Amino acid sequence: MARRSILGLFSDPDTTANAMDALRGAGYKDWELDILSGAPYPEGTFGEHMPSHHLFKFPLIGAACGLAVAILLTAGTQLAYPVVTGGKPILAIPAMAIICYEGTMLGAILFTVFGIIFESRLPRPRVGIYDKRITEGYIGIVVTSDETRVVQAEKTLKMAGAIEIKSGA
Amino acid sequence: MHNGHNGEALAASPEEVTQDILRKHREFTPRFKALVAVLAVLFLLGVVGFIIRLQDGFEHRVKWGYYAAVVVYLLTTAQAAPMVAIAPRLAKANWRRPVSRAAEMFGVVGLFNLLLFIPLLFLLPSTEGRRTIWFDGPSMSPHIWDTLAMVFLVLCGLAMLWAGSLPDMAAARDHSSGRRQGLFAKLAMGWRGTDLQWFLIRHRIGALASLYFMFLVFTHFLIASDFVLGLVPGWKDSIFPAFQALSALQSSIATMLVTMFVLRKWCGYERYIGLEQFWALSKLLLATSLLWFYFWWSGFIIFWYGRQPVEQNVISLIISGPYLPIFFTTFILNFIIPLVLLIWNAVRRSILGPTVVGCSILVGTFFDRIRLYVSAFSIEDVTAHALTVVPPAHTPDIADILIIIGALSGAGLSYALATKVFPVVNIWEIKEYMLLRVQAAFHRMEVTILAKPE
Repeated sequence: MARRSILGLFSDPDTTANAMDALRGAGYKDWELDILSGAPYPEGTFGEHMPSHHLFKFPLIGAACGLAVAILLTAGTQLAYPVVTGGKPILAIPAMAIICYEGTMLGAILFTVFGIIFESRLPRPRVGIYDKRITEGYIGIVVTSDETRVVQAEKTLKMAGAIEIKSGA
Repeated sequence: MHNGHNGEALAASPEEVTQDILRKHREFTPRFKALVAVLAVLFLLGVVGFIIRLQDGFEHRVKWGYYAAVVVYLLTTAQAAPMVAIAPRLAKANWRRPVSRAAEMFGVVGLFNLLLFIPLLFLLPSTEGRRTIWFDGPSMSPHIWDTLAMVFLVLCGLAMLWAGSLPDMAAARDHSSGRRQGLFAKLAMGWRGTDLQWFLIRHRIGALASLYFMFLVFTHFLIASDFVLGLVPGWKDSIFPAFQALSALQSSIATMLVTMFVLRKWCGYERYIGLEQFWALSKLLLATSLLWFYFWWSGFIIFWYGRQPVEQNVISLIISGPYLPIFFTTFILNFIIPLVLLIWNAVRRSILGPTVVGCSILVGTFFDRIRLYVSAFSIEDVTAHALTVVPPAHTPDIADILIIIGALSGAGLSYALATKVFPVVNIWEIKEYMLLRVQAAFHRMEVTILAKPE
């Protein structure tokens, strides 16, 4: 069955939280509900689920890749052209440390920037269901579900005090 | 309740704050246009100076000493300024909210400075036959790794600015029309303010901020090592790169104090930037000024006590010799004046006092970069075993003066133009603070109660 989204617009946080409770009471799952706000309310203010993300993995993986490339580059070139200098070992850590640090950081930065874009699901060519009043302080609840359940959700949102309901694709 | 602690702004509603900041953001006042015009003309003068300098070629490094000094000055001041947003954000200090964007926007100046950095690569000699931090690496190692460091520092700064501005770009998109709306819609990249997006913005800025801090110190280590230490034969000093990084932290605070004063005094942001921000930064400025002396002394005392001929020559080159007046100026402006003024509570707890000290440090740091980079660029034979002859002071010519004026104006111009793309005061962070704080009666006084959800 086709899925559709609706947006219920609320003027204050308390009514929004009550509407979320009503939707959950009506059997809607966390993944069917989304909160839109113009300010970062503390996580869980509306009883919404804690989103999961993998953002911290990106810098770690990037740093590991960067370090691996740096070690490969420095150790590889020194082993390929082994010249003993000043009695120091061919693979001298102090000589490799600067490039290893820089490689680690470059990898971490690159992967973090990529991770931010990926995890935020950006760029979005279409904003999706939205109302400009969100940035004016209004709070939106987006319900994305099957056609029949969306109709039911609309009624629930109205009863919970939504000042306007908008439909989207 | 307006007491200089941003009280007036916080008494307004979040929507009023949004409207007010966005109105200032889109206004092109006659004063702003005049500023841009003056900066553009001065920047063009700098371009003329650069063309004159180019006629001399890159054979004589000494002629580019002042150019190098101004590039590193911008690295020390403007590119370090995002630290004023980073450190308090990691420490969850709420006073930073109105000024964090103004600090992050110096990332745009970093992009300008990256362009200025390119000619320096043609001036850096091969590492063959001289001692550098690259040991026996390829002879072009500093050229490659220093460039990568500068590029990624700028990339990280811009990513931090963009990531932290997404909600405000969306607000600008929703409150504008026509071409401006199209521009902000592109910059907002479809931001809607979902709980996942808000969750990520908190964490992504923290990740980028940590990386920027680690990379800023490292970039200073590379630039100080390759463009000063590596060019002065026999100068072996493990403290100098750390001294330059510390100087950048001190200058970042000074840069932001002066920027905050300008934004407050002439750009209409006095509702948001108040005594609280100046007071908090003045304490950090005093601490970094004391550290400035500590780091300088630690480096100096080893050379002074060692008394090897090369150590005496290095001291003569950068302190007691031809650049003695510049050293004294730096010492007074970067240490004596901050110490003498900022030890007083009344000065620290004011808006004008920390700003005056900030100006002093910015001028002092400029002279410090001249003292170090012009003197290092004056050394002809960089492959010598030791510095045996201290070259005379190199005075600036007309091209140098034009380049200095142009580079500083270009930095100012890029920042001024960026204020019309990114709101210079962070809207969403102020709104978050307004959500979390409550004014309440406490016996016979009114206090601010701040929620700490984490």
